[in-house]
Amino acid sequence: MANQTKSTPRALEGVRIIDLTWLQVGPQATRILASFGAQVIRVEWRKRGAIDFLRYFAPFAPNHATADGGRAQGAVHSSGMRGNYDRGAYFNNTNPGKYGITLNLNHPKGRDLLRRMVREANALCENFSPGQMDKWGLGCEELRKLNPKLIYMQTTGMGKAGVYDNYVSYGPTAQAFSGLTFLSGLPEPYQPAGWGYSYLDHSPGYFGAMLMMAALRRQRAEGVGAYIDMSQAETGLMLTGTSILEYQLTGKKTTRYGNRMPYRDWAPHGAFRCAGEDNWIAISIQSDAQWQALAEEMGSPAWAREGKFGSAAGRKQHEDELEAKLTEFTVQSDRYDLMNRLQARGIAAGVVQKAADRFDRDPQLKARGYFVDLPHSEIGTWPIEGFPAKLAASPAYVGGLTGRAAPKLGEDNEFVYHEIFGLSREELAALREEDVI
Amino acid sequence: MTTDGNLRTSLNNVVVVEVGDQMGDYAALLLAGLGAEVIKLEPPEGSPSRSIGPFASPTPDREQSVFFWRYNLNKKSVILDVDNPAASGALGRILGKADILLMAGEYPTVARRLERCRSIAGGNRGLITCAITPFGLDGPYRELKATDLTQMALGGIMAVCGYDPDKDNNYDTPPIAPAMWHSYHIGGEYAAISMMAALNFRDVTGEGQLIDVSVHEAVNTCTEIAIPTYIYNGETVLRQTARHAMPAVTQMRLSVSADNVYMLASLSPFEREERAFVQLLDQIGMEHVLGSPEYAELEKQDRRAALTYRNDLIEQAVASLSAEEIFRRAQPLGLAWSPVRRPEENLEDRHFAARGSFAEIYHGELGRSLRYPGTVATDGQAPHMHYNRRAPRLGEHTEAVLEWAGVTRDEIASMRRHGVV
Repeated sequence: MANQTKSTPRALEGVRIIDLTWLQVGPQATRILASFGAQVIRVEWRKRGAIDFLRYFAPFAPNHATADGGRAQGAVHSSGMRGNYDRGAYFNNTNPGKYGITLNLNHPKGRDLLRRMVREANALCENFSPGQMDKWGLGCEELRKLNPKLIYMQTTGMGKAGVYDNYVSYGPTAQAFSGLTFLSGLPEPYQPAGWGYSYLDHSPGYFGAMLMMAALRRQRAEGVGAYIDMSQAETGLMLTGTSILEYQLTGKKTTRYGNRMPYRDWAPHGAFRCAGEDNWIAISIQSDAQWQALAEEMGSPAWAREGKFGSAAGRKQHEDELEAKLTEFTVQSDRYDLMNRLQARGIAAGVVQKAADRFDRDPQLKARGYFVDLPHSEIGTWPIEGFPAKLAASPAYVGGLTGRAAPKLGEDNEFVYHEIFGLSREELAALREEDVI
Repeated sequence: MTTDGNLRTSLNNVVVVEVGDQMGDYAALLLAGLGAEVIKLEPPEGSPSRSIGPFASPTPDREQSVFFWRYNLNKKSVILDVDNPAASGALGRILGKADILLMAGEYPTVARRLERCRSIAGGNRGLITCAITPFGLDGPYRELKATDLTQMALGGIMAVCGYDPDKDNNYDTPPIAPAMWHSYHIGGEYAAISMMAALNFRDVTGEGQLIDVSVHEAVNTCTEIAIPTYIYNGETVLRQTARHAMPAVTQMRLSVSADNVYMLASLSPFEREERAFVQLLDQIGMEHVLGSPEYAELEKQDRRAALTYRNDLIEQAVASLSAEEIFRRAQPLGLAWSPVRRPEENLEDRHFAARGSFAEIYHGELGRSLRYPGTVATDGQAPHMHYNRRAPRLGEHTEAVLEWAGVTRDEIASMRRHGVV
């Protein structure tokens, strides 16, 4: 099945999106839309205070990386280059397939230019602090006077509607507020472990892409626009599973359960240390037959034959002891060898893979073409994380229409303003002179 | 704000047929929230997700699975054993009227059912078929056994979640899967996105297509800087308590409030946040030297000591008030701080109440309503997603759906004799 190539046809052929997003949560949505062939025009401004944080936040491409090179030149630590905003590695991974322009929205002519683009766009996405677009006179109501069919998607930590509309939030804030942080980790007295990244900068982006495509269908069929007020914290609620229901039914406060399975007698069910430095394997035993198979793999030690471990209920009841005993076995084992041996016996087992394992070693990701090499105009060609599904007739391609990783700051000014929106080169020169673009 | 573009009915004319296990429940739930008619075909013993707890009853009961309730709102349940050849006629007629066939489960099962459904539904060229499997329909891992936990391990999320290492960066605690079912959440969201893309494509071309969703790949997309840090810099990030995994250990972000609640409180490297913090300290009357020449000198001489001083102040400030009080004071100043709430504490939150974040669903058998998280967005006045029916009882809609599909009562009776429905 074709996938991850610059191919046609595209699911979002002919769709134009003005992308005023920054950081992670907004760009995540527009990244997906670009993958399906939307013309995503990323609008930025080149003054330090307005530049996307990810452009000057580690990790960076190595200092030796050049436009005609890239990963092939080798990977090594870099602290970035002062004043250069085109070498952010995470920015590159977050914004492939988009056109990049600069536009000064603090300048009246900049705002006029945005209005001109909005008239010829299907949608606008932004995740500024609440109220910023209204201050510029570019809020949803104003823009839809110019383009009644416009889809306006706004993502904020708490959501614009409601009583915390002016509250501020990053992904971790919304995770803490919604309950996701509390749920993660070992039982008390351990602290909540939370998330090692901003899950709520990712998931609302996925929802944003989904809702945008729902709105685009309606726009195509009925000629109507939409206002989408996305909330990161609300998305977190959707992801707290059954905890809220369980509380309503039992009145018991939610507790954490580590890696164990709280809802079935599955044991062992956890991460177990293997040979080597910080190496672990996840093992999930779901039946007595699987337990017997695991015991055989361990060489049928006497402890594993003890009656208390003979039933699922017994193993669950003695889970602390079971895990300690199992660790005595796993700690002597190579993690991948053990995974393969357990899988051969029909046991769900998976190495706790680090980034190096996933990129260098994972044969499934390689076979499926998960990483896609894309060029960047300054730092060269680097592997970009792809779209995790294959669509047979209209495949996603993370390089989008540009066939490129992220744009340099203002890289496509000429193409977008002149070729797409028809500004003359003289007009562009004047706008540059006036610090508008 | 205008409401003409509310999306709760945007899939009103879309019929989704769902077959399989818990990997598909969430994806179909999302489509149901946008108005799709989701018909869940279940074997006579019920879908596998009916056996997942917690249960509302003292002992496991397929009608009392709270897991099943949560992920199957607004759906219809039909008993139809899709693996039984005697079901072919009915299945063909249902698929003939369907827009989307969603299949979820282990590869061998899904592959077999795909083959069968293709031959049965061959005449429906607009049918979108979405297969959700642990690793995808091809590749060397496609037949591996998996659970939510092992997917979180192989997909990379566990390696970046957990607790701080010791001073030598050694860990005495395991990597953590941050609670259950997130691999299916992420996989389900990507499946929903893919189906939505396919619907857009079909609107223009009239063509359906096959979608092959890999939960493994979906989880892989969701680890933020871990992959770029390795690819570009050759460095491995370290998992750390309640904060981003980074190549080096960073300052702690959790503090404990006066009422013994964890509080996520820290300052980003923006000057405005430090100014806001100074305002907060002044508000609560806490002495400090932030902003003074003395502190500037400390920052210059020993940045780490300056950070430690600032973090100690954060801890002291949080410890001086209740978590909710700190939240109410810090947020209007522009500090993105939050108490680490239990999920259920949000049931009474006035912000979520104002947004209509929870859907009140009546359970006749319980004689009461339960409040479900029910949307991620509003149109300014009403949620874009809408849930109003509890999860179906097993086979609750069998006859109605089969008759809608054009299956006669005699045929239904015959299938019943063969144990198909």
